[in-house]
Amino acid sequence: MLRRGHRFAPFDSRGRFTIAAILITFTAFSAISVFLSIRTTQHSQHRAAVLQVAARQRAIAERYVNEILFVSSGGSADPSATGSYLTESADALLDGGEAPALPGDDDESGLPAQHGKVIRAQLTQELRLAHDLTATGQAILKHRPAGSVPLTAGEDIAALDPVVRLRVLAALTANTSLNASRAIASANDRGISHLITIQVLLGVAGLLTSLLLAFALIAATRRQTAHFRSLVTASTDLVLVFGRGGCRYASRAVIEMVDRPEQELLGDGLSEFVHPEDLGLLRTTCEHGEPAEIVFRMRNRHGEWRQLDAHVTDLRGNRQLRGVVLNARDVTERMRLEEELTRQAFHDGLTNLANRALFRDRLDQALARSTRTHEPLAVLLLDLDGFKQVNDTLGHDAGDKLLRAVAERFAGAVRPSDTLARLGGDEFAVLLDPASETEAEEVARRLNQAAGEPLVLAERELSVGASIGIVAHPGGPADGDDLIRHADIAMYAAKDAGRGHHQVFRYDMALEFGELMALEGELRAAVENGELCLHYQPEIEVESRRVVGVEALLRWQSDTRGNVPPSDFIPIAEATGLILPLGDFVLREACTQAAAWLSEGLIDESFVMWVNISAKQLAAGRVGTAVDQALSATGLAPNFLGLEVTETAIVPDGSAGERAREELQMLHDRGVHIAIDDFGTGFSSLGQLRHFPIDMIKVDRSFVQGVDHDAKDAAITANIVTLAHALGLVAIAEGIESDGQLASIRDLGCDLAQGFLFARPRPADEVRLVLAEGSCSPDDERDPAAA
Amino acid sequence: MLLAVLVPLVGGCSSSGNKPSGTVAPIVERDFKIRAQRYELPAGKVDLSVKNDGPDAHELIVVRETDSSLPMRKDGLTVDEDAIQKQTQGALEPGQPGGERHLKLHLAPGRYLLLCNMSGHYLGGMHAELVVS
Repeated sequence: MLRRGHRFAPFDSRGRFTIAAILITFTAFSAISVFLSIRTTQHSQHRAAVLQVAARQRAIAERYVNEILFVSSGGSADPSATGSYLTESADALLDGGEAPALPGDDDESGLPAQHGKVIRAQLTQELRLAHDLTATGQAILKHRPAGSVPLTAGEDIAALDPVVRLRVLAALTANTSLNASRAIASANDRGISHLITIQVLLGVAGLLTSLLLAFALIAATRRQTAHFRSLVTASTDLVLVFGRGGCRYASRAVIEMVDRPEQELLGDGLSEFVHPEDLGLLRTTCEHGEPAEIVFRMRNRHGEWRQLDAHVTDLRGNRQLRGVVLNARDVTERMRLEEELTRQAFHDGLTNLANRALFRDRLDQALARSTRTHEPLAVLLLDLDGFKQVNDTLGHDAGDKLLRAVAERFAGAVRPSDTLARLGGDEFAVLLDPASETEAEEVARRLNQAAGEPLVLAERELSVGASIGIVAHPGGPADGDDLIRHADIAMYAAKDAGRGHHQVFRYDMALEFGELMALEGELRAAVENGELCLHYQPEIEVESRRVVGVEALLRWQSDTRGNVPPSDFIPIAEATGLILPLGDFVLREACTQAAAWLSEGLIDESFVMWVNISAKQLAAGRVGTAVDQALSATGLAPNFLGLEVTETAIVPDGSAGERAREELQMLHDRGVHIAIDDFGTGFSSLGQLRHFPIDMIKVDRSFVQGVDHDAKDAAITANIVTLAHALGLVAIAEGIESDGQLASIRDLGCDLAQGFLFARPRPADEVRLVLAEGSCSPDDERDPAAA
Repeated sequence: MLLAVLVPLVGGCSSSGNKPSGTVAPIVERDFKIRAQRYELPAGKVDLSVKNDGPDAHELIVVRETDSSLPMRKDGLTVDEDAIQKQTQGALEPGQPGGERHLKLHLAPGRYLLLCNMSGHYLGGMHAELVVS
């Protein structure tokens, strides 16, 4: 916490206060001095009047004596009046008042009362002597004995002649008055001396005070200046001042940045360090004092161009500065970060291609341009064929490498001006602007060729293809969403056409695509409406033809569509996540049915109800829970239940594969049977099979179909059967449709068989009849829905 | 202890330094009289300590008396100091009231007149006789 005393306040008004204090001090001292001068001058004027009157007393006393003598000798005079002047003046000198003016002489004089002890004593003595004088004079005029006049001033003149006595009294009066006037003059001199001393002291004190305040003001100003200098020099901000003739000031931060002395930067020297493209902007700004913010580049000591964000302040009207001030900050790192964030926001982190947002932005811009120019453009959507299998079997790292490799190849197959983006997963998009349909197809061919080139991943040489949907926009206004959706439809059409194809969007494709979307909505409703049910296809022991199990197969009997084949809705269910509740439904229904058959005595301990588990269910990690719920709900023992999983569902690397294996192992330990479905179609290493809790291998129908006439299929089937037996597993051939196939697998030692030859998938009621018989006869009825 | 030692030393020095070189004769002047504590003094060195009690300024002149009276100036109010210059033993210029001055003289046996010769003061009564024996 900052202490108040140390608060930095460079903008406070201390300077103004100091100047005001100086002025107040000068004014106060001057006022005191003037006041004292006036007072002293007034005193001097008063004392001058006093001195004048005091000096006049001598003349009046002598005049009085002369008039007494003159009147005594018969002359005519008015000594009484003169005596009155003398005593009244003496009285006025002592206690203040009007001293009378002598006839024909001067004016009346206003006198102040005297306060000095010595002066008052002298003037009192003078007054007494004046009274003694006039009393003696009156006695002489009235011919009374002068000795009868009482004397009041201490004089001892009784022995003197009356006239001498009168003259002595006059001399004493005059002398006393003279001495009193001297004392008054001396006091006046002392007063003036005191005034001079006081004024000198006041002047010195005022001067010292003002000097102190001035020094304080100078010190404060210096501190303030130092503060601002420190602010400018210590600041990391770059401060530049431009005026006529170019740069006039460069702060220390600027000097340190370019590592040149300030003199080299002044004038036009700074231009050497400013990016040539920004020099015009800088000069214009410094010439006009605007805009308020600019960004320009300067080269630092290492030769790097640094981005400077400058705040421009026009101080050309400021008399102290007369220039344009730039407070600049190095924002290079911030701009790089912003660029990086922008790049991350609009680029795919894995492939560094544009992401969906950027692609969409570019597409919107291209469409806006096309609206103006009517130039054609094309959008290509690409989906890698076989990527999922690579990802599932070789792991996500391999999948990521594949995506990066393919992205590089795609980038080499398009023009730099085209936008290549990864929209997510294995889906890419290309915006060709401008491009005709023919050019778009040519690009699609190049892309497919690039994708198809062999690629080594995890020490395997792989080759992927791409299904490419093309939408060619002839030019003019269009909606970006529509173009992407149409390209998506075309891409699905390309997928349907087989690996490595491309299709140009046609409007009849939209109808088919719309069909798929509608199917998803109806499937969701079907789950809630109970339109789904299970059919069961028996599995037969080859030698005895005994039914040893059934495979539960999901069927959708739609109210509007009739019987919807699994190949139509299972992919949709997997894509939308509906496969999870559907899987729970199948497990629960199958266990319920098996429990029912078991309670009816239709099956024994060797019977297994096989339920297909999808990779998504395993990946979700909820198979164990679902099995537990189904078994506990139905009371079915675990050994009556079997789970069929595909190779690709259980062999992926990483946590998903590990979790799937652990879950299956746990179920297997509790007695649940595990079978590998469609064996031979995956990429799994055979060696990995020994690590899985497997009871049975199902030979894929693609091999079984040719087993009786294709040597390769027969060889593959034979090897799978041999492998199963070597691992102590049961082998079952699915898709047996003919006696020849049956004979072939029997010859190869296959343990079990399943197919239309024996029974197509049937509702539980019909299967119940088969179970009641205990065996199954060949059945020629084919049902494509069993796929 | 130190103070006790110093005080007698200081006192001794002061006493020795201020020791009057002759007879000290306090004189008081006041309008319009001259008063002496002692009017008879031994001959020799005399220190007249003259205090002016005012209210007027006064001077002091010491004149050896002769058989004749003091001559007056033409104004008839002041003694003719030039005429008695030979008789004059010493003088103090006019002193302001409240002040004290010293007039050191070497007086032979005889009679001396102390007077203030400011205008009218002598005739007004400011004189006294001093006998030195």
